[in-house]
Amino acid sequence: MKKITLSAMILAFCGGLISTALAQTALQAETTCFESRKGASEVVKRDLQPGWPNVKCSTKTGAVLWWGDPFDGTVPMGDMPLLEKVPPGHAVVKPRSEKLALMPMCGTACHNGVGPQFNPPKLPIGKKPAPIPTMAAMVPDLQNLQHGRGRIWCLDCHHTTQRNKLVDNFGDPVSFDQPQLLCGKCHGDKMRDWRDGIHGKRIGEWASTGKKRWFTCTECHNPHNVQDGARNRGFVQIAPESPPQLPKGMKDAKHELVHGVAH
Amino acid sequence: MEKLINFTTDYIRYVLKGGTKFYAWMGVLALLSAGALYAFYLQNTEGLIVTGMTSQIHDGLYFANLVFLVGVAAGAVTIVFPAYVYHHKGMHEVTVLGEMLAISAVIMVTLFVFAHMGRPDRLWHMLPFVGIFNLPGSMLAWDVLALTGYLMLNFACGFYYLYAKYTGVPVNNKIFMPLVYISIVWALSIHTVTAFLIATMPARPMWFHSMMPIRFITTAFAAGPCLIILAFMIIRKNTKMWIQDSAINLLAVIVTWCLGLALFLTMSEIVVELYARTEHANGLYYLMFGLHGLTSLVPWFWSSLAFMLVAFVMFLIPSVRTNYKLLPIACVLAFVGIWIEKGMGLIVPGFIPTPIGEVTEYYPTFIEVVMSVGNWAIGFLILTILLKGAIGILIGEVKFDASTAEKSPGFASGGKPATSAPR
Amino acid sequence: MSSLMGAAALMAQTDDPKATVEWAEHFQTNYRLMTPAGKAEARARLERRYSAQYSKKVTVDTTEALPGVLMGYALNIRKCIGCRRCVKACVEENNQTRGKSPGERIEWIQVLRMERGEFAQDKMNAGYPEGLGIQVGGNAYTPAGQVLEGQYHYEPEAVPEKDATYMPIACMQCEKPPCVKVCPVRTTYREADGPVVIDYNWCIGCRMCMGACPYWARRINLTTPVLPKDEMNPVTHYLGNRPRMRGVVEKCHWCLQRTRQGRYPACVEVCPVGARKFGNLLDPESEVSLILARKNVFRLKAELNTFPKFFYFYD
Repeated sequence: MKKITLSAMILAFCGGLISTALAQTALQAETTCFESRKGASEVVKRDLQPGWPNVKCSTKTGAVLWWGDPFDGTVPMGDMPLLEKVPPGHAVVKPRSEKLALMPMCGTACHNGVGPQFNPPKLPIGKKPAPIPTMAAMVPDLQNLQHGRGRIWCLDCHHTTQRNKLVDNFGDPVSFDQPQLLCGKCHGDKMRDWRDGIHGKRIGEWASTGKKRWFTCTECHNPHNVQDGARNRGFVQIAPESPPQLPKGMKDAKHELVHGVAH
Repeated sequence: MEKLINFTTDYIRYVLKGGTKFYAWMGVLALLSAGALYAFYLQNTEGLIVTGMTSQIHDGLYFANLVFLVGVAAGAVTIVFPAYVYHHKGMHEVTVLGEMLAISAVIMVTLFVFAHMGRPDRLWHMLPFVGIFNLPGSMLAWDVLALTGYLMLNFACGFYYLYAKYTGVPVNNKIFMPLVYISIVWALSIHTVTAFLIATMPARPMWFHSMMPIRFITTAFAAGPCLIILAFMIIRKNTKMWIQDSAINLLAVIVTWCLGLALFLTMSEIVVELYARTEHANGLYYLMFGLHGLTSLVPWFWSSLAFMLVAFVMFLIPSVRTNYKLLPIACVLAFVGIWIEKGMGLIVPGFIPTPIGEVTEYYPTFIEVVMSVGNWAIGFLILTILLKGAIGILIGEVKFDASTAEKSPGFASGGKPATSAPR
Repeated sequence: MSSLMGAAALMAQTDDPKATVEWAEHFQTNYRLMTPAGKAEARARLERRYSAQYSKKVTVDTTEALPGVLMGYALNIRKCIGCRRCVKACVEENNQTRGKSPGERIEWIQVLRMERGEFAQDKMNAGYPEGLGIQVGGNAYTPAGQVLEGQYHYEPEAVPEKDATYMPIACMQCEKPPCVKVCPVRTTYREADGPVVIDYNWCIGCRMCMGACPYWARRINLTTPVLPKDEMNPVTHYLGNRPRMRGVVEKCHWCLQRTRQGRYPACVEVCPVGARKFGNLLDPESEVSLILARKNVFRLKAELNTFPKFFYFYD
């Protein structure tokens, strides 16, 4: 009986992977562009109304340049401390939970505390991440997590049994749609500025009581990889858009590379 | 009224009388003027993209020429002032010729304004009451007021004097003299306001100093009289009008002083800007030595400086200044030197670099040159017509004759002029 | 005569009769002085013409200045990575001309790449004059940090580069705009809620404003704008992003077609690092007011007394 269940689960697992792969192939026929960073916030271009697309993409870099409807595909943010004065429904985010295809499976199948071979659940000895293929695929260098310089590890942020949730210091789950409740624990300065709209990004209405789509932390920052050597200020390098058109009379802009003042 | 009509018809008839040389000259000018009309058509259909102007350097050949010509128009005061304030006899005889030059120069300025504007079809937006005329804020509005006023003043003074001479009725000094005095002050003001146009913009550090108006006036009073001297020499050679040596010599002295002052101001600008060599001096540095390796204006600057220096030395030496074989050379050198210095040396480098540090270069296109040459040609066309008619009246060949209301005696003899004393 | 020639030229643009400039448009008065009825007529004319010209329904909004609002802008220069997405987003939103020939493409924002400064040991003795002791050090003339000298046409593989900082520059929407002062026909003026606008139908193209602007914020349409129909943004404002014409000046207007309806300007929305902030300076809770209260803020060329409402800050 147990053997059948196990093989059935593996089959389901594989089936899930294959269908996701197939779905991706179907999507590539349309234009997809990324909002903040590649791999985190991709959007498929479509027409909201005839002639009015949801996004306009850059042909050079594949970045989103313009939103037709800033609230397209958003859900309400949920309760946030010190954001009570925002009128209800005026703070929306793009949900991330829906994209976590693997996570519920991980939670229901294995890391739920009642799985067949894993009852009761045990934390890994030594609090160091073990090299598991599924994990290694998501994080570049598990043994040397590029966040916190060796001071934090996976289960500091991820819930032990509900792997489709993050965790706070009390062990309570935090939604992936509200990463700021987690990130803000250590990054309080940024959290305060983010809450006031100074850090991070909001699109929508500019009035302080207006409706805004807030970009949550993980839409711009990859928490698994923020300290890579080539990075500059915590934001990954991206390809720039094209330079301005050379005015008449200039064949190239090489003179800009020469310093102006000789003496 | 009848006299006025006769004045106009006799004037035109006298102008139309001319030999091969005259018609060849007018023909060439007419051809070049047609070029300007074509270029204007192109600019009004395709836009200013047919020129070499860009958003970075958006005032080019046209603005340079218009600024220069305002100076030439102001230069007419160098005749009017000595004539009426110092009662210089030689100048008094030829004042009206200076006023004719002023009229044609202001017309040329207007032509270059039309060439320069993005939308000349919207010029009516500047008319007061119908449109909006932004006084006292906009320097350009003041400039338009000053130039229009100057044109009207010169027209009134010049043609009233000619009309009086034509009819033999003496000039009413109660009306005439105040207008003359106003026009003297007004002449100074047109070029000062033009200088203020560019000198009141802190965004352009190369222009933003109080020396600008002085520099403009001195170069205007050097270039204007040079052109007038050349015109006088041509008039002496080709017409029956004799212009006194004293007039030409006084103009040459004025050029000497003003050219000297202009060179002094140039020297002072170079020392002040280049001593500390701040970023504000970038425009001047570009002009003199190039910036970031871009040097297209450097030869122009040094040649204009050379021309002006050589001309100044020539003007300084009395024996050269009074030698009427060498004087035209000095005049041409000074005129060309100042033209280059105003255009390439002042207007274009004012935009290099842009206020936020972008360095670009400007190359006028063929159409721009065609338009500029054409506008000058139109100006010279008008100048020739005005001068010819004025000379005819001044030497007495065009006179109102009450007995033969249609024709004047000069014509009855088949065009052969009466002998006239140099008076 | 020039008026006729200009009008004739304008009328020969397309073969759609509705797309030609009507005579009434030629003779309309300055927008600020129009009666509400006049504005409605002007709006209807323009909507007719644009809709015919671009084969889609174009709206021309005429919403007035919002009461109790003074628009302000803040840009975090520590964050800017020089990706130029703000430049391109602005072009997507605002119907600028975008042809291929030089002079046919206009971008309102320019991003300046500045160097952090390189000081080298081997330059130490390279100053001048030598002999009696070097008066000017060899490491002079190296621009370092925030200066208005650098590259506008940089094209690296990836930004931000290690040795560079970036600063975008566009219209500062000054409280005391030098461009407004020099306009001979008062076609450019400061709206009550802050932005400096241009009535494109009144501009005579004299370019005095372009000379007076210390930030090089204004551009001239050197030719009839090249704007493909499918790229045209049909939601426009009379003083904002409606398609311009040959020979008139244009510049950033803080996306009036959006901001008057309460939405952020396009550049603010697109910035991937969230460097750009926009809001109401009269509202103490707006992000711009909070930035002024909390961060170190400066204005470009403040000594010229233009009093920009575009602030730069760093944190």
